[in-house]
This record gives sequence, C-alpha cells and structure tokens, in this order.
Amino acid sequence: MQDGKTPREPTEEASDGETAINADELVVGYPGAGEPVVDGETLAVPEGEVTALIGPNGSGKSTLLKGLANRLEPEDGRVLLDGRRVDSFGSKELARKLGRLSQQNTAPDTISVEELVERGRYPHRGFFESGTDADEAAVDDAIAMAGVEHLRDREVGTLSGGQTQLVWIAMALAQDTDVLLLDEPTTFLDPHHQLEVMQVVETLRDESETTVVVVLHDIAQAARYADHVVALEGGSVYAAGPPETVVTSQLLADVFEIEAAVSTTEHGLQITLLRPLHDEDQK
Amino acid sequence: MPGLFERIRDRRTAASRWYADSALAGVALGSAAVLVAATLLQVSFGAFPLTLGEAWGAVFDPSILFSAEAWRSFLLGTDVPEWFTQQQHIVWNIRLPRILVGALVGANLAVSGAIFQITTRNELASPYILGVSDGAGLVVLVVLTAFAEFLPFVPVLAALGGGAAFLLVYIIAWKNGTSPVRLVLAGVIVGTVFGSVQRALFFFIDDLGTVMSAQAWLSGSLLNTDWGEVRIAAPFTVLALALAFTVTQELDVLALGEETAESLGMPVEKMRFAVAGIAVLSTAAAIAVAGLIGFVGLIVPHMVRNVVGGDSRRLLVGCLFLGPALLVGADVGARLALSPIQLPVGIITGLVGGPYFLYLMRKTESLGEV
Repeated sequence: MQDGKTPREPTEEASDGETAINADELVVGYPGAGEPVVDGETLAVPEGEVTALIGPNGSGKSTLLKGLANRLEPEDGRVLLDGRRVDSFGSKELARKLGRLSQQNTAPDTISVEELVERGRYPHRGFFESGTDADEAAVDDAIAMAGVEHLRDREVGTLSGGQTQLVWIAMALAQDTDVLLLDEPTTFLDPHHQLEVMQVVETLRDESETTVVVVLHDIAQAARYADHVVALEGGSVYAAGPPETVVTSQLLADVFEIEAAVSTTEHGLQITLLRPLHDEDQK
Repeated sequence: MPGLFERIRDRRTAASRWYADSALAGVALGSAAVLVAATLLQVSFGAFPLTLGEAWGAVFDPSILFSAEAWRSFLLGTDVPEWFTQQQHIVWNIRLPRILVGALVGANLAVSGAIFQITTRNELASPYILGVSDGAGLVVLVVLTAFAEFLPFVPVLAALGGGAAFLLVYIIAWKNGTSPVRLVLAGVIVGTVFGSVQRALFFFIDDLGTVMSAQAWLSGSLLNTDWGEVRIAAPFTVLALALAFTVTQELDVLALGEETAESLGMPVEKMRFAVAGIAVLSTAAAIAVAGLIGFVGLIVPHMVRNVVGGDSRRLLVGCLFLGPALLVGADVGARLALSPIQLPVGIITGLVGGPYFLYLMRKTESLGEV
C-alpha cells in the first residue's frame, strides 16, 4: 500500500451496498442534562467499510457513537443493527456483534498485554467457561493484526500511550465483532502511533468484512482513510458521503469554522488549514 | 519461517506463564512457611506451661486425631469427651481453634479486600473504607449492649448490618450509576456516622464487663476463640470463597472499568452489586468471630498484586494464602509479645499495616488506581 489508499468509486458503494447500522430519527442525550445532544438524526453506516465521524468538540460524535452501541438509551427513534433493534439484543449477544472502544481506557497496570487482549473474549464465554482454542486463536490474530506481538508479555503499566492504545485496539479486535466503533482512537497519540492505529483500520477494511465507525479529530485522516465521512454539527448531520464530496472548504468553514484549502493530490485529498474563522468573518 | 516464529512465541509465552505461576507458588510457599512457624509458636507457648513435647504430643495424639467423639465435639458442638486431659484440652480446645479461626478470618479479609479493590477500581478500598465493617460493627455492639439474647445469631446479624451499610453506601453513591470515587466517598461518610453511633453506645453500657468485651471486639481480637467460632465462620467462609472463585472472569472484566465492561457485554451495575455481595458475606464471616481487624483487607491484596500481577484468579489464590499467614502471624505477636497480657490482634495489624502503607505511599506515585 504505497499510496496508503486504494481507489474506489465514491457514490455507488455507499448508496447501493448493504448497511450494517441504521439510525432512524435518533434522539440521544444524557439523562437529566436537558437538551438532547443528538437530535433526530438518520444515519446509514455501510457494511464492511470505514465510516468516519468528524465534527468540532461538542458536536455529538461520541454521543452518537454511544447511541449506536446502545450505551445510551435513545429518547426517540431507533438504531438497527443488521435490521434488528440494538436494544433487543442480550448484552453479551450485542457485544459479540458490535464492539466499542471508548476514548479513554484504564487497565490495571499489573496485567500483561496478552491478559488484557484475552479479556476481549469475554462475550464469547459462558459463565463457567474458560478459554477455548478459538479464544486463543482470536487473541493471536488480534495481537498480530494490531502489531503488538513484541509487547505480548509486557505489563500494561510499562507501555507508552501509543502502545497502550494499540493494545486496547487488539482487545477490541479479539472481541471479533462485525461492527467496531472507535471513539477518537488517535487523538492523544504521536504521529507514528496515529499512523499505526489508522493502518490497523485500513487492514480491517481491506482484509476483513468488519464495518468500522471511527470518530476522528484529524480531518485529513478522515479524508484519507474513510470510505464514508459523516460531518456533525451541533448534534445534526451536516453532510454525509464519500470524502471527496463531503470534505470541502465550504464544509470546513461551516462546521469547523476554519478557512482551509482543499485540493486533490496523488496522496488523496490535501487539506491545508489556514486560519480560524470568527462569526464576523462569515457575515 | 513461520514455524520458527511460532516456536519462539510459544516458548516465550510458556516462559512468562511459568514466571507468573512460580511467583504465585512463591507467595503460597512463603505464606505456608509463615503459617507453620506461627502454628508451632502458638501451640507451644502460652500462659499455661506446657513443654514442647507435651504440646506436640497432644497435637499428634492418635487417640484424638482418630476419635469420632472428639471431632464431633469440635465440629458439631457436642460435649467435649470427658477423657480429655488438661494438656489435650489446652491444645485442642484453646490453642488450635484459635489458629484455625485466625486463618479463616485472614482468608476472608484478604479475599474480600481484593474483591472490593477490584470492583471499586481503587487500591485504597477495603471493607473498612466502604462502610461494611462499621455497619456490621454497629449491629454487633447493639446486640452486645441491648439484645444479649440474640448473641448466638451475631454472624448473621453482622452480615445483615454490613450488607445494609453497603446498600446505604451504594444508594448514596448512586447517580445514574456509581463510580469508584463516589463509592469510596460514600463509604467514608457512612463509616463515620456509624462509627460515631458505635462510640456513643458505649455511654449507655452500665456493665464494665460488657464494655471490656465490646472494646476488645472493636479492636479485633481472637481472644477466647474456640471451636464455636470455627463452626460459625467456616460455612460462611467456604461459601463466600467458593463464590469468589467462580466470578474471577467477571472480576477481570470489571477491573477494566465500566465503559469497557459494558462494551464487552457485562451488565456492570448488577455484576458489581452481586460481586460486592460476595465480599460483604466474606467480611461478615470474619467480623462476626473476630471483630474489627483493620488493614489486613487493605494490605494483603496489595502485597499479592505486587508479586503476582493483576490477574484475578492468581490474586485471589495468593490472598487465600497470605491472608491467613499474616493474621495468624500477627496473632502470635498479639498473644505472646507482652505475655501474660494479650493484645487484640487488630492492634498488631494496625501497627504493622500503617507503616507498610506509608512506605507504599512514599514509594509509588500512582497509588490509588488498581
């Protein structure tokens, strides 16, 4: 993957392909917090592809992700996973279909990387069952795919931030779900580990059937790695579609209040952020 | 050459497993050694003068070891056989059961401490922090002062009191779910209030003897324990520990925090509540027979985790060994150090535990998170 991106036909895949998750008129918010954060959104996540959620802070990206994962009960509307309401799944049953890695995770410092990854197999085990060969194979695959083989026996507490994130991703991979929701997996990482994480996402897209929904702050990353970009603003979908049509200088001005130059290069979209816009600029 | 890589990896995995297991084996063997040494001392020395030969002759006396009548009296509480000599009586009815009770109490406190630390994801958590022991303690004091006729049911009542206190803590901490920090804070609040009521109760006790026994009980003492206490604590202990070992997988997942546990498909609040219930039962079994012995539930899981790591099953196994070793060892000090005066063992564990904790606080910067 020299150019880091395989060519694709923009519109057709997104509209004709199967959808893994459908959100209909979804309204989600935090109990007792007044106004819902995500208000009446309809969203279709295409199956087997990478969908990036972008938007400024507080635009409802994480909330939407929690809504999709049935972590927040919708005040209205519904979320369908493979055509079935997410709240009709048993908790472990849902966890075998849909995984979610939240923004910040804490593990005990004193367990090994392998032990942490193994815990991703929890939804596949019964109450008294211990690990099977299938569990072991899934753990091995996940560790290999996340590229953390060399860290396998290290204690989690001794890892750097970037390594820790890759290990958490390995845990989510070991969960072996059809859909994987990643909440800002690259936000606090150095560039090297950001690329490592996005490479895992790319591998998931190219080599498996997994549907990935990833919240990203880095617009260029979203444009580069996603098949489908959803831009959120103030709890509503501002635009959705392939990156070439969604990520425009108009969108960056409207949603992110940034003046930017967007151009197409051999490495995909080139986004140059120029300066922040203020309300008076837009008048 | 994937074959070579596989082999290297398998070998490395095997090596790391071996290391982890041998660390656990080290803890177990070391604890067993301490326990044996403490037992030797406890059986051999005491207020009643026995020679080493007499004491150990009584321990391994076949006429007792193989006597159904004797064991019935120990385990079922029937009358002590009349043919017991004084030496046999001292060894079998006074010194040995005290060791046994100490071991049971130590195991319970250590395991329940480990569970509380995992479920609240806070290394500073223990039955004492979460209000459980104060709740149980209050109930026991009330029984001692006002309802002496309920004395035989103290363990059950203590468990109820501990459970009620924990429930209260949970309710106070609840706000769209609980969090480890809120649980600990609520535990401190409930503990403080209950502790005050306990101290207030002392002023309503007229009988000096009751004051003394209440005092000893609050300090945590194995004084005057016999087979009766073994019979009270053992069934609860076996039940609580068996349950604890069936939920190690759940504990492992809970330790990852509620966000992750939820996305792995665990109903976190229900599970946390159920697991805490096991720990409350375990704590109550200990408190009912030995009173409030501090620091064991805090320190033992901590020491074990430092050696064997954070895997719940290994942690609980380690606690099962080190808890009894520490408690029985401390009881040797409590009983023999200032002989003929016997101190409550809770004073020794506090004296040892406080500085250990201070040392930890100084050494590690990130103390607190599991």
